[in-house]
Amino acid sequence: MTSANKPIRAARYGMTIDLDRCNGCGACMLACAVENNVPPAHEAATDRKGLTWLRVYKVDNGEAYPGRRTAFVPVMCQHCGNETPCVHVCPQQAVDIDPATGVVGEMPQRCLGCRYCMAACPYHARYFNWWDPAWPLGMEKMLNPGVTPRMRGVVEKCNFCHGRWHAAKEAAAAAGKPDTPVEYTPACVEACPTGAIHFGDLNDPGSTVAKEAAEPGSFRLLEKLNTQPKVYYRSQKEWVRQVASAPRPSAAKEKDRG
Amino acid sequence: MNATRRQVLMFAGGSAVGVMFTPAPWRLITDTALWSENWPGIPAPPRGEIHTRFTNCSICTAGCAVRARCVGDQPVELAGVAGHPISRGALCPFGIVGHHLPYIPARLKEGPVGQAAAAIAGGLAKCGPAEFVVTLDLQPGRTASWTYRRAMGALKNGRYIAPSVDAQVAVDLSKARTVLSFGVPVLDGWGTPGIVNAARAGFRLIQIDAVESRTASMADRWFRVRPNSEEVLAAALAGRISPAQAADATGLAVAEIAALAQELEQGGPVLVLGSSQLESTVGTVVARHETPVPGEWKKSAPVTDLASLPDRSVRVLLIDESMPGGYLQWSAIARKLVADNPVVVTFAASPEGYARHANYALPVAVYPEVSGDVPPAIDSVASTFRIASPLVSPPSGMVNPESFIATAAGLSTGDTLRERADAIHKSARGAVFTYADGQSQPLKDMKPDDFWKVLNAGGCWIDEPGAQTAAKLTFGTAARPPEEESDLPLAIVVARETASGIPLLSKVYRESNLRLAPGYVALNPACGLEDGSQAIFETLLGKATVGVTLDSGIPPGVAQVSATPALLDLCAAGARAKVVRS
Repeated sequence: MTSANKPIRAARYGMTIDLDRCNGCGACMLACAVENNVPPAHEAATDRKGLTWLRVYKVDNGEAYPGRRTAFVPVMCQHCGNETPCVHVCPQQAVDIDPATGVVGEMPQRCLGCRYCMAACPYHARYFNWWDPAWPLGMEKMLNPGVTPRMRGVVEKCNFCHGRWHAAKEAAAAAGKPDTPVEYTPACVEACPTGAIHFGDLNDPGSTVAKEAAEPGSFRLLEKLNTQPKVYYRSQKEWVRQVASAPRPSAAKEKDRG
Repeated sequence: MNATRRQVLMFAGGSAVGVMFTPAPWRLITDTALWSENWPGIPAPPRGEIHTRFTNCSICTAGCAVRARCVGDQPVELAGVAGHPISRGALCPFGIVGHHLPYIPARLKEGPVGQAAAAIAGGLAKCGPAEFVVTLDLQPGRTASWTYRRAMGALKNGRYIAPSVDAQVAVDLSKARTVLSFGVPVLDGWGTPGIVNAARAGFRLIQIDAVESRTASMADRWFRVRPNSEEVLAAALAGRISPAQAADATGLAVAEIAALAQELEQGGPVLVLGSSQLESTVGTVVARHETPVPGEWKKSAPVTDLASLPDRSVRVLLIDESMPGGYLQWSAIARKLVADNPVVVTFAASPEGYARHANYALPVAVYPEVSGDVPPAIDSVASTFRIASPLVSPPSGMVNPESFIATAAGLSTGDTLRERADAIHKSARGAVFTYADGQSQPLKDMKPDDFWKVLNAGGCWIDEPGAQTAAKLTFGTAARPPEEESDLPLAIVVARETASGIPLLSKVYRESNLRLAPGYVALNPACGLEDGSQAIFETLLGKATVGVTLDSGIPPGVAQVSATPALLDLCAAGARAKVVRS
C-alpha cells in the first residue's frame, strides 16, 4: 500500500468559547494578528474596513440600567461543515475544506478579490484586504516566518492558525506519525488569559472541546442555517444565547448609530 | 487542402470560444494573482533559526513571565509561561504585543543630552536653601527607584516623589469571598491576569462604577452611581452617613444601599478596593516582606508625595516616565516649580507625556530593549524579584535615566541589579522559579552566580508569603473630592488603558470598537454628536480636540475619557466638562 491511498483518520478541529468567561480584553484579537502577520490599521481603516481575522463584539441585552447587561462575543470563521457558503460561491476555488482537518482554508494566491464569499458568509467573518500590508519601519523584522503576508485585493480569514498546524504536522511526521491528527494550539487559545477558549478535535470524544460542545448550554451561531459551524459557544445566560441567533452580533451598536 | 478565408476565421473564432472552456485562461488569471503575491510592497518575514527565550514583561507591575519565540535575534511572538506560580501562563493584550513597543510611531529617537546635563548642573548650582531638586518616579519600587532615592539623598535639597503606592501591602484574592470595588478595574488591567482569573471563581465581585466598564459588565453585581459619588456610598456602608444621604448623592435607592450593606455583612471575608472609607476583612490584605536591598542603599531619600512640597519650590525636576505607570496631572506639578527658569527634564519614549511640558525630553529604551526589574504586583502575597531581560538591542542615542540621574547627583553606582540580586541571595529566603524547565528550588540551595544567571535567562525569585493584616487600599483611585462647582454639563470618568501607541492595538480600537481609542471621548448616543466625529472637549483647565465614540453604556451627562496624558491634564479629580462640535 502506498502512502497515497493509506487511510487517514480525519480530524475535525473545532473550538468552544465560554462567553461567561470572556471579559473582552482583546488579547485573542492581538495574538491572532501577531501570529498571522495581519498588519496594523491603515490610516483610512475603520471598524468596517478593518482586517481582524478574529473580532470580539460587544453586545448587550438591550435593556436600560439596572437591567442592562453586556457580553463579549469573539467571532472568527466558523469553519462551516455543511454547505459551506463561501466555498460554494468562490469562482476561483480559492476556498476549500481540508478533508484531513475540516478547516475551511483560504488561498490568497488564487483569490481575485470579487468578495462573493464575504457576501455569502452569514457570520461576517471574512475581511477584504483594502491596502497593501504595511508595518512601521523596522517592524517587519518581527513578522512570523511561518505565515506569508497577503497582498492587497484579497479576502482573508481565520484558518485555525494553519501555520501552527503545519508545524505540528511536521513534528508528528518527524516522530514517525505522519497520518494521525495532531494536537496544536491556535494563537487565540494560547493568548486568552481567562481560559475561555478551548480547541481540539471534535471527532475525538475524549477531547475537551468534544465534551464541551455536547454540553446543554452549548450553541452555535445561526444554527437555523444548518451550516454546522465548528465553533461552539457556551453561556448560562439566556439572552446571550438569543443574541447568537441575530444576524450580526454588533446589530445593537449599529442601531445606536442610527 | 485549400483553406478559405472564411474557414480560417471560423477556426480562429471557434478556437477562441473553445479555449474559454478549457482551464488555460483561468489558470492564467490565477498565475497573475500569484505574481502579485511577490509585489515589492509585501514585506518578507525574516528567516533564521527559531528558538525560545524568556523574560518578564515590564509594561506594568504585574510583571508576567514571557516566553518569546525568536527568529535569530528577533522576537516574533510573545506568550505566557505555563506553570508560573504567579502569572500562571497568562498575558494581557498589551503584553501580547509588548515586543512592538519599540515601534510606536511617535517614538523619541534623539534628545539634547548634553544641554540637559548642563542645565541640570546649572540648576543645582542655582538651587536656593528653600528650593528642591526632585526626581519624580512614575513606577516606584524598582531597583532604579532605589538609585533615584540614593541620588536624591546625596543632594542637600533632593526629594524623591512617587505616586502613593505602598509596595509592602498586597491583596490576597484567594482569601476573599466578596470583592467590593469602587471603580477599580479588577478584571481589566488592575492586577496580575493569572492571579485574578485563578481566584475569580472564589469571590463574588460587586462593582461600584459610574459607567458600565469592562469590570462592571463582568461583575456579579454592578451598582451604577453618579460619577464621583463612590466615596459617599462607602461612607454610608461604613456607617458614617445615613443611607438616605448616600442615596441622594449616588442616585441609588435607600433599599439598594441597605441590601448591599447586608450582603457585605454576610458575604465575608470582604476585600475592599478603591476606598479610603472602608477596611477590608483581616486576612484579605497582606503585609509583604521587603525585597532585600544592600544595607548602604537604606541611606537614601524617603518616598514623599508631591503635595508635601511647597508651591514654587522645585528648581530642578527630573521625571522618569520610561516605564508606563501612574500619571500626575501637569497642573499639579507646574505649581510646584519655581517661577524663574525651572529645569524640567523628562526621560520618555514618546513626546506625548511630560515631554510636552519639559525643557528637555531625553529618549529612553523601552521594554523589551532594556534591562530592569519589575516591582511586585499588587496581588502577589509574596515579594518578588524579576528582571525584564532585553530581547532586542535599543537604538543608538538612548539615555539610561538611572545612570544619568546618579551621575547628575554625583552618586557612583555599579551594576545595581546585580548588587540587589546578591543582597537577595544573602537573605537566603524564598525560592527561585526557572522558566525554561518550570522548576522551583530554594534560594539557599543556589550559588549567587547561578541565581544571577537564572534571573537573566528567565526566572523569578519569590519570597515567603507575608503576614496577614488589615488595611485600606485606595489603589486605582485617589480619594475622590466632591465635584467642582461648574455649569459644565458632563461629569468625567476616565477609562484606564495602558501602553497606547503600539501599532497593532489599532485592532481593538480602530478596526473594532472593543476599547476606547486614545484621544477619544465616549458619550451617550443622545448627546447630539455623531459617532466618529471630531469635537472640542473643554474643562476649566483648558480644551482639546477629541474624537467622539457613541456608546449606549455611557449614561447621559457623563463623558468617558481615554487616559492619554493630554486629556488627563484637563481632568482634575471631580472635574466637569463639555463636548461641543468642532
